[in-house]
Amino acid sequence: MKLLLLNHIQNARDSLRANRMRTFLTISGVAIGIASIVAILSLATGASQIVANQVDEAGGTIAVIRPGAPAAGSMNDLVNQQAHGTITTSTITLSDAAHIATLPTVEAVAPIIVLHANITSNEDAVNQGVVVGSSESLLDISGVKVSMGSFDTTNENIITIGMQLSIDLFGTENSLGKTLTIRGQEFRVGGVMERQHNPMNFNGFDFNAIALLSKDQILRLNPTAQIQQVNVKVDSIANLDATVIKLNKDLLARHGGEQDFSVLVGDSIAEPTSQLFLIIAGVTATIAGISLFVGGIGIMNIMLVNVAERTREIGIRKALGATHSDIIWQFLIESLLMSLIGGIIGGLGGLALAFIISLFLAFDPVITWQAALVAVGTASIIGIIFGLYPAARAARKNPIESLKQQS
Amino acid sequence: MAKNRKKSPIVIKLKGVKKRYGVGDAEHNALDGVNLTIRKGEFVAIMGPSGCGKTTLLNILGLLDQATEGEYQLDGTSVATISASRQARIRSKTIGFVFQSFNLIPRLTVLENVALPLTYKGMRRNKRLSLASTILKTFHLNEREYYMPWQLSGGQTQRVAIARALVNDPSIILADEPTGNLDSRASHIIMEELSDIHKRGNTIIMVTHNPRLTTYASRVITMIDGTIDTDTNDTPAADQEGTLAKRSLGKVTKEAEAAQ
Repeated sequence: MKLLLLNHIQNARDSLRANRMRTFLTISGVAIGIASIVAILSLATGASQIVANQVDEAGGTIAVIRPGAPAAGSMNDLVNQQAHGTITTSTITLSDAAHIATLPTVEAVAPIIVLHANITSNEDAVNQGVVVGSSESLLDISGVKVSMGSFDTTNENIITIGMQLSIDLFGTENSLGKTLTIRGQEFRVGGVMERQHNPMNFNGFDFNAIALLSKDQILRLNPTAQIQQVNVKVDSIANLDATVIKLNKDLLARHGGEQDFSVLVGDSIAEPTSQLFLIIAGVTATIAGISLFVGGIGIMNIMLVNVAERTREIGIRKALGATHSDIIWQFLIESLLMSLIGGIIGGLGGLALAFIISLFLAFDPVITWQAALVAVGTASIIGIIFGLYPAARAARKNPIESLKQQS
Repeated sequence: MAKNRKKSPIVIKLKGVKKRYGVGDAEHNALDGVNLTIRKGEFVAIMGPSGCGKTTLLNILGLLDQATEGEYQLDGTSVATISASRQARIRSKTIGFVFQSFNLIPRLTVLENVALPLTYKGMRRNKRLSLASTILKTFHLNEREYYMPWQLSGGQTQRVAIARALVNDPSIILADEPTGNLDSRASHIIMEELSDIHKRGNTIIMVTHNPRLTTYASRVITMIDGTIDTDTNDTPAADQEGTLAKRSLGKVTKEAEAAQ
């Protein structure tokens, strides 16, 4: 049986070679389908890992406190994600943040207050720009450096802005000393942050595009501004779990026993973003799957032509002692071979495609063995499903009728 | 010689075999009650006009077709009881086909064509090809091994087909008008080959239109309208022994049946 299988493979190779053009076109049908799926999956995996990677880069010592009860992780929560500005009253207060800072294992605390406001300069304006108020620890925890000037924590009207915002407003990266206006108040640019390459991160904003103020400054702009989240940096990984428990306990006590906040660590910080990406990827991959289906129909079509063309050969083989299953295997392996080659080419092509696309995106595609498995696995399933019917049809042929046929 | 043949075992035995085609008004019997016993080592020529059922008979003998009625015993086993895949194995191991239209697979080389039946015995490729090469040598075709079928003359093609039929060392060769597409010189060569194979002890059953070819056979059967019309041993040299053999054949058959 094993030897026969080898025979069938050699045989299939020969017969595929005999019709090079036809084989090539059929294979490319499958390859295109597989390529699009692999490209989408590897890009989506890459995207969903950005945020998680940032958490890891920070040494895994970061905990994030967000207002609202812990999400159950259902689809509904995902759709109703809390976007910036939609929270009217945050359950976390600055005094909570101040309390957290007093915990012995906490190295740094950065409460984040976000405002959306028009930012204007003499030259240009940015509508609904993001204004963030926080402490200096935000820059430490997020690994962001101020390349020009420095982050001003005094009460003066001095602002730190992102590189892109600087370009948008002033047309230059170096905008130190220039002035901009937010809600009628003038600010002097006292620092410009280094260009960042992670527009998606666990803070929920792109540092390149924000205007950064201190807590006090932002409260002067809008005294009712709410805390979006609190970033907590713990002094060591060993203390992380204990600190999270402590945070939960203290905050629960301070909130009168109401679980109206959630303390997140590790991957769960990134979860909402990751899940969203994976769902988008799933939907897109399903659509790409349609092209794979079309590829499968192509295989079936060509295999039916093959069977019809080789009716006489089937008759001869049967007369020479081929069994029903020998004939089935012969044609099934032929279609399987085509789809597998398509799967491999498509898999490689898809990765190449993903890398090319990623040149224009802010993240790298991720090659996983799962993606490779999906490519090869789906391809072979397609080959079997769409090869089975033609093969069965070949095997059912009456040898006498087949031998009579002219070819 | 007649005595030897008398003792040789029965290979094929047909009892009242009928093959019906068509439905209703179009229904007709291609075979209408054929009784036939063939022993090992016989060279049987089946003659008869077109449509008398020769080819149908050969197809049934070769397990490519099933009788509608009657019993066919191959090597003492009723084929009706053999599963389809076992029948395929029997075709592979004990039956060799030679066709009028040669039936080589056009995209395979001569050597691969000859090696084809060995594939279904599960033989390794190298062994297959070397065995095929050996047998092609006995047909003086070893220089044509890597030719494609269409590069050969008709006579050569049929010799390749015979080599293919023999490569499995089958006990029965079924030939359906093997010289039907050949000129008389090529026909002669083919018949010499078959005759040689016969002398080596193989059973050959050949359907033919050409009465001159029956001189090579040890027994000639003529068919008409799906039944056997005459059944004689026409071997020129052994006319009398042939008749005797035929007479005693019935006896032995009965004895053999009693023994079973």
